[in-house]
Amino acid sequence: MRTLLQKSGKNLFNSIYIEEQAYNYPVVRMVLEKYPDIPVITIRNYKDVFNRGNQCFQLQKHRQSLILAVKSSPFLYKGPEVCQDFGYSDFYYTSFLFNCIFDCEYCYLQGMYPSANVVAFVNVDEFKQEIENTLGEKKAYLAVSYDTDLIGFHNIIPYWDFLQDFFTQYSDINVEIRTKSANEVFYNEFLPAENIVVAFSLAPQEIIQKYERLTPPLSARIKAVKTAIFKGFKVRLCLDPVIINSGSEKLYEPFFRNLFMEINPDKLKDVGYGFFRMSKDFFKRIEKQKSDSQLYADQYSITDNIVSYPNELREQIMTRHLSILEEYLPKEKIFTL
Amino acid sequence: MIFIVTALMLEAAPIIDYFKLKKDMSIHPYSVYKGSDIAVIVSGVGKLKSAMASVYLYNVYGTGKNDILINIGFCGTNSQSFDAGSLLVVNKVTDTDTGRDYYPDVFFGDGIPQIPVQCYPKVVKATDLTEQKEIFCDMESVGIMEASKKFFFAHNVRVLKIISDYLKPHNLDKAKLKGYIEMNMPILDNIIKEMRCLNKGFSEFPPQEEKDSIEALCLSLRFTQAMKLILSKEVKRAKINGLEPLPLFKQFNGIKANSKEEGKKYFEDIITKIRQKSV
Repeated sequence: MRTLLQKSGKNLFNSIYIEEQAYNYPVVRMVLEKYPDIPVITIRNYKDVFNRGNQCFQLQKHRQSLILAVKSSPFLYKGPEVCQDFGYSDFYYTSFLFNCIFDCEYCYLQGMYPSANVVAFVNVDEFKQEIENTLGEKKAYLAVSYDTDLIGFHNIIPYWDFLQDFFTQYSDINVEIRTKSANEVFYNEFLPAENIVVAFSLAPQEIIQKYERLTPPLSARIKAVKTAIFKGFKVRLCLDPVIINSGSEKLYEPFFRNLFMEINPDKLKDVGYGFFRMSKDFFKRIEKQKSDSQLYADQYSITDNIVSYPNELREQIMTRHLSILEEYLPKEKIFTL
Repeated sequence: MIFIVTALMLEAAPIIDYFKLKKDMSIHPYSVYKGSDIAVIVSGVGKLKSAMASVYLYNVYGTGKNDILINIGFCGTNSQSFDAGSLLVVNKVTDTDTGRDYYPDVFFGDGIPQIPVQCYPKVVKATDLTEQKEIFCDMESVGIMEASKKFFFAHNVRVLKIISDYLKPHNLDKAKLKGYIEMNMPILDNIIKEMRCLNKGFSEFPPQEEKDSIEALCLSLRFTQAMKLILSKEVKRAKINGLEPLPLFKQFNGIKANSKEEGKKYFEDIITKIRQKSV
């Protein structure tokens, strides 16, 4: 199956679905010029394709389609409790994209969406309008690369081209772009800004190999971190999710030490740390689909409808890990969940 | 199981010959032809008939989540882009009665042109069209899509159309039409192979034998549904770790628990043993 579904080098996407009302947006013209050979299917509403019943997420993930759509309100969402707010009481996120080009085994999107196809919203101006209306006067934390990887997707749709100038105007909105991408060109292409933070998700190479299919290796990500720092970007490291199944806990100490040998911790804005966790409903849905996954077959505890490692174990390991991290960074720069 | 639905016997005949299928004499409402894992049904013309035939076939032979439903048949078009006899893969079906659209996943058939199809309740002639735009029309695809939603995975449904005419559907040469299907049989065969291959990675899990074994044990030892769920999970976990926990059950063969309390003791014993094996 894998061979059959392997994406051909020529085309990243299996098909491109385009909403009738989306055709006039520049993003659509850009995509059509870039991928002239991919079959295009005109649709009325992205939900007609994305929300169909009986879709197989795992299978679609091996050959994704791109859906170009016009989003209707809401454009902004309150940040969920399972995510770090980095000290901001006004924590929001926005989704220019649903789904991601990477394929991480632990990703909650597999349980959240009925389809693995990528939905890309083309009405960026309306997003900006709502951000301006809601957050314009506030000191807020806004995650713009949730439910996706905006930098990973940059070579397909360069959303940041439309956003950089807009966000620089609003210095009180602290914008986080979270990524696993090692696309260094991004940091040469754009100028850094005080209120824009690039958050790199990092993990031991063994974890990347085992659980983060299609993502760049650790060495490439570290190189991208260094480039971003060199270019003056505010950089956050997200050591999240920490996975401690099947003895993988022992991978973390050497990983942390090596990380801070490569990256000067003084140059970092902060670090986020969190264990593998997921809403119970998403977990159950994924467990059903991934019948051969060790990650979803293992035992966890459930607290407040969140599946994660037992509290005691988490405390024990976190104490150990934090004591290492604190050798490199002051406590107030380490955010845990 | 591969289910193939055609509207006409003319469309089914080359498929029956190619796959050497035999008529299932036990079925009377429809003409059904069957091989080891392929069944062809002749539904009659129209979306209702194609939906009924699809569901009928599924009810008779359906095995589970890996079943595949294929509709192959003729379509008319005003497009001059394709020759008569060309086989096309449908990526969008529009019901002209309701305006509703359906989207089958197209994961294979690289190189085969893809088209949207408009499904009409009657035969369409060029003179019926008021618009100039290019269309492809058939009469069964909506029935296939609607029926498939209930019983098949989106990626296991395929609508294939062969161009029969350019919206001049009178006096069509039957031998020529049959020839169009015959000509495309190697492509259909390839598509079926690809779809089978696609489903190989999705074999039923857990296997029936394992389910039966757990069910029997739970019954004799009076396990509750919750205990059965935990046991199934433990077995799954052990298997993912490369172990074979089912032989463990043999030592409990023939034992009957007289009370739930007794069952609970057996349950704890079994779980401990599976976990010890997993360590």
